[in-house]
Amino acid sequence: MDISIEVQGISKKYRLGRETSGSLRETLSNLVKRSDADSEKEFWALKDVSFEVKEGDCFGIIGKNGSGKSTLLKVLSKITQPTKGTAKMYGRVSSLLEVGTGFHPELTGRENIFLNGSILGMTKREINQKFDEIVDFSGVERFLDTPVKRYSSGMYVRLAFSVAAHLEPEILIIDEVLAVGDADFQKKCLSKMGDAASSGITVLFVSHNMNAVESLCNKAIVLNSGTLSFSGNQKDAITYYLNEQKRLLASQNLTERTDRQGEGRIKLRDCRTVSKTPGEEAIRCGQPMEFVIDLDIVDPSVRDISVSIAISTSRGHQLCDLWSKSSQQELTPTSESMQVRCTIPQLILNKGEFSYNLCVKSGTIVEDWILFAGTFEVESGPFFSGGQVPDPTQGPLLMQQSWQ
Amino acid sequence: MKDSPALISNRSNLFSISDLYKYRELFWMLAWRDFRVRYAQTAIGLVWALIQPALTILVLYVVFGRFAQVDTGSVPHIVYTTCGVMAWTYFAYVMTNSGNSIINAQAMVKKIYFPRLIIPLSKAVVGLIDLFITSLILVILMFLFDVPVSRNIVMLPLFLVLNLMAALGIGIWLSGLTIRFRDFQYIIPFGVQLGLYITPTAYPSEFAISRLPEWASFVYFMNPMAGIVEGFRWSILGTEAPAGLSYVSFAAVLVLFFSSVFFFKSIDGKIADYV
Repeated sequence: MDISIEVQGISKKYRLGRETSGSLRETLSNLVKRSDADSEKEFWALKDVSFEVKEGDCFGIIGKNGSGKSTLLKVLSKITQPTKGTAKMYGRVSSLLEVGTGFHPELTGRENIFLNGSILGMTKREINQKFDEIVDFSGVERFLDTPVKRYSSGMYVRLAFSVAAHLEPEILIIDEVLAVGDADFQKKCLSKMGDAASSGITVLFVSHNMNAVESLCNKAIVLNSGTLSFSGNQKDAITYYLNEQKRLLASQNLTERTDRQGEGRIKLRDCRTVSKTPGEEAIRCGQPMEFVIDLDIVDPSVRDISVSIAISTSRGHQLCDLWSKSSQQELTPTSESMQVRCTIPQLILNKGEFSYNLCVKSGTIVEDWILFAGTFEVESGPFFSGGQVPDPTQGPLLMQQSWQ
Repeated sequence: MKDSPALISNRSNLFSISDLYKYRELFWMLAWRDFRVRYAQTAIGLVWALIQPALTILVLYVVFGRFAQVDTGSVPHIVYTTCGVMAWTYFAYVMTNSGNSIINAQAMVKKIYFPRLIIPLSKAVVGLIDLFITSLILVILMFLFDVPVSRNIVMLPLFLVLNLMAALGIGIWLSGLTIRFRDFQYIIPFGVQLGLYITPTAYPSEFAISRLPEWASFVYFMNPMAGIVEGFRWSILGTEAPAGLSYVSFAAVLVLFFSSVFFFKSIDGKIADYV
């Protein structure tokens, strides 16, 4: 198949402090002082990134925040120039780094369709041809002649996406625009994207949503602080990325984690997973296990404490949420620290690796919340009296069953 | 085999004339949007575009025509001034709006590519409302005061083009400079305010030159609008032909316009990094 995008050694440098917009006074005083030491801080958002995308591929770009994903899309969309390197784009490019670019609140829905369409590079004729389709897809025909400032945010997004969805590019660059709208509309967008991907156009797709990348893309790259660290099919890329994340996080104590949210009046200190089968260290299917969570009570006046544990597969699909309030048991702090145990009498997880998020609340206030707080391995075990557990590729859950 | 690919490198973002032409529909779209939005929320709509120049003319007439008793020859002072205000209003509107255009469009500039020069350029269109309204005032006053239209009117398009180039030239420079140095946002309205007085809108340039040393007259005419306002009056009212020094103004217009395009070209690829 033909090559659609050819990226060769793209690098992008930002000069911190200097190239950002400043005041005239700063610039003048910098000129006088000639103090280049602090203003010359360089930052490479992208370092020597090369890859090729074949025609018709749906190509995912994965990476943490700040890994250079957005910069790469901006470079490929011609919004900003690379410092070094070249990229060749074979075909008409449309880039959607957000939906509704250029929408004006004072203009009506109808007017904004034309405005947004031409900003996205459609001609007036194309917009006229697709107008009914766009309106139909958005479901806002009743409000077409209302200024969009009176739209609900849902309607606004639906209209904006509908315009974008009717572009007919040969190369489509998309940045997480699917993270908008209600669930129904997201589904609609995903299927529209799927159509685009299967209609033979080349799609470049950045997302945090691994499920979307997995189901839409066929290839993917992983970016890590500006460099390309993996390139291959999308499943391997996701596995690589998640393993990398895990390695990184598992090496850290919970107390060292800075990527936490919440009021902080109670803090998660440690969490361990242990087998409750006497004489057995491994956690096994069908056997009891326990989460042991240590908390630091920063503010002893906090009441109505609850703890929750959200378990996900190694691919990031969340499976369930364990919540201390489900057992009606009140957790009251006794001293500066407390220990909470959550016992699962019979594990219904299939063998494999799982991760979990932890959250502590007081009432409805989130006190401390850590995603990817830890991982645990489940080994094959005696869940079924009749024998082996199924292969983990058949699903992460086990269920008791009887057959006649 | 497909068409040759679009190449992205650290030079590729420079727009070309053909690129601008390709985006001509967007140009009209942005102009039309400004037109729609400008009066969308004001209660008396277009009347604003009438009140502003009308009051400016009135104040200038009272101050220069009545208080200062400036001599404008055979043409009544108020007609004389209206003609100057007509050129000035369009200039001030286009310059101010194109000067702030990139900063006002930063959300768009960061999210999508098109030749950015379109943004300041498109502001020239909506300013035509003001030009139309001030020229309407002028026609009415010329009729009332029985001032005939000069045969030089055939030259008016030339001065309109110069007026446009002056406004865009300064506007494009400012649009690039404001994203780099926000200070220019404050400089623009101040400049417009001062410009109205140092430009011979309500008095003949002769009035200024005769009271200035030669070098200062030269500096006075470095203001591109000095020559253009004179040109407007010469072509419409048949007043004295623009003084020899007016050519300094016209040269300034050309230098400003072409240098602004080159300047903009040099920063086009970095705009998204600055804003």
